[in-house]
Amino acid sequence: MSGGLKGLRMKLAERRIGGVLILGLAILALIVLFSLVGPLFVDAHNAHVGAMTPRRPPSFDHWLGSDSQGRDMLTLLVYGTPNTLKMGLIAGIIGVGLGLVFGLVGGSLGGAIDTVIRVVADALLTVPAIAILVIIAGNLDRMSTNIMALVVASLSWMFTTRTIRAQVLSVRERAYIEVARANGESEWEILFREIMPNLMPFAVASFVGTVGSAILAVISLEALGLGALEETTLGNTIYWSQQSAAILRGYWWWWGPPIVVIALIFLGLFLTSVGFDRFANPRLANRA
Amino acid sequence: MSEGEANGAGAPILVVEDLRVAYDTLAGPAMAVDGVSFSLKAGERLGLIGESGSGKTTMAMALLRLIRAPGRIVKGRVLLDGRDILTMSVGELREARLRDIALVPQGAMSSLNPVMLLEEQIADGILAHAPRTPRAELARRIEALLRGVGLDPSVARKYPHQLSGGMKQRAVMAIATSMRPRVIVADEPTSALDVVVQRQVMQTLGRLQGGLGAAVVLIGHDMGLIAQFADVVGVMYAGKLVELAPVEEIIAAPRHPYTRLLIDSLPSIAAKKRLIGIPGLPPRLVDLPPGCSFAARCPYAFARCRTETPSLQSTGGNRSAACHLYPEAQALPPLGAASGEARP
Repeated sequence: MSGGLKGLRMKLAERRIGGVLILGLAILALIVLFSLVGPLFVDAHNAHVGAMTPRRPPSFDHWLGSDSQGRDMLTLLVYGTPNTLKMGLIAGIIGVGLGLVFGLVGGSLGGAIDTVIRVVADALLTVPAIAILVIIAGNLDRMSTNIMALVVASLSWMFTTRTIRAQVLSVRERAYIEVARANGESEWEILFREIMPNLMPFAVASFVGTVGSAILAVISLEALGLGALEETTLGNTIYWSQQSAAILRGYWWWWGPPIVVIALIFLGLFLTSVGFDRFANPRLANRA
Repeated sequence: MSEGEANGAGAPILVVEDLRVAYDTLAGPAMAVDGVSFSLKAGERLGLIGESGSGKTTMAMALLRLIRAPGRIVKGRVLLDGRDILTMSVGELREARLRDIALVPQGAMSSLNPVMLLEEQIADGILAHAPRTPRAELARRIEALLRGVGLDPSVARKYPHQLSGGMKQRAVMAIATSMRPRVIVADEPTSALDVVVQRQVMQTLGRLQGGLGAAVVLIGHDMGLIAQFADVVGVMYAGKLVELAPVEEIIAAPRHPYTRLLIDSLPSIAAKKRLIGIPGLPPRLVDLPPGCSFAARCPYAFARCRTETPSLQSTGGNRSAACHLYPEAQALPPLGAASGEARP
């Protein structure tokens, strides 16, 4: 029994999957589980305005109380968390996807295309994204969580682009790429079969980072009232609590829980990112 | 070699004619390969030897048309079975690489992709030429290739960092021979390996070459290693081929003064003597002075050597040397007869 456990531990040590990565993934898994299993235990109608008595503190029947519109806070969390995660994931996937394409194209083709990609990415990196996002979000007629994700994705690709481009420039000069060329592989085969696998640790690391900053951007916009207000999300819950001066009026069960969930999401993403970094970069693994 | 041709012992598989490769520098083009010509028949082993910067590796890269900016092939032809590699279309070139002419690269450590399993890397070469190879056949070929280089087939499922240096070099040879090429260009295949492993690797290379009946161009700076492997030895100096001769003859009686000094600088177990290097340094390849590029270091040099560049000419039999001592001299005179001032 202990032999098996020891074997597993050695395997983990060998693969440098530290406790940090496991803890980060565990927190994220807990939040996903909460989003998946939660709806089985709460009634969706309780998320509607006037479903119950407003401004009730937490009680045995309503664990997190209600807001000033009479919505059940626990139900809001259960339905808001997956929406917020979904926006972060969509924006992250699109952002990293665009970043991968731009980085690969720029790094491997070079020339004028590379210059354009690099200059645009550098310029956008210097401008605070939230300022641009506020203008875009404020000028859209219709808003939904999907549109919100697209808006945030439009400014989530620059960092991945720079990272991937730099890696392509480095990897394509390695001896084994020249050998692949000597073995008659085409430039496409070299790009996708030889260079791509070398980029995966970087793509994963920037995916985690991009999802994190996308969620942050989404929540920032929503807290400013620029989100899809008719939908249930963590950011919208914070917006409504601000509108009702929940902090001044002492309704801690209104603004507190969404902040705790958001903090947990960031903590999980951060630990996962650090853990992956150690996994992908062995030189960090043994640093005390 | 020209004699063999005359006897009709088979047409040459590789013919290099007046190959010139330059690297463009701010000071002007540096001629790294400067008018090299030779030919090889199937099954023949040519060893190209020279010191660092003599153009050996550039030459190897040019044979596969792998020269990239700032390098460029200025002129010449590399005929592989009559087809000029240097003028092929990109598609034809990709077909020819690995299938007709394969590279065993310098430094196996860095020649394997660190994030791919060995079997994937072997498969990539095969699939680049035969994309529809069925999975089962691919696995069978990979196993046979690994056995062919003396590796256990289980290493197919390993990453490069799990292999030793010698195993990596064997793996690289398995990839190079995966499409049964007719010419193998081996660029210092044993650099960074210890002597015992060097010997094993060279034996493996020899066995593979014998099995395929391929011609080999072995590039290196270790005279001992080249002498054991090659049938014919070519000596390069400052981008030029200065001597070409069968291996026994070149060791027994070198014709070119540079070859003589190169052989004299080898340690010998039989005769204990002080080791002597070759005084001076190779010339800069930009703006070469007129005359023989070895003249400044040559104990035999005379006036003509400093004004006129010697070209490779027959020195009897199937040997040739690029030196003004010939055709007047029958052999290289003993060193005492020359001025000898340049020796330390």
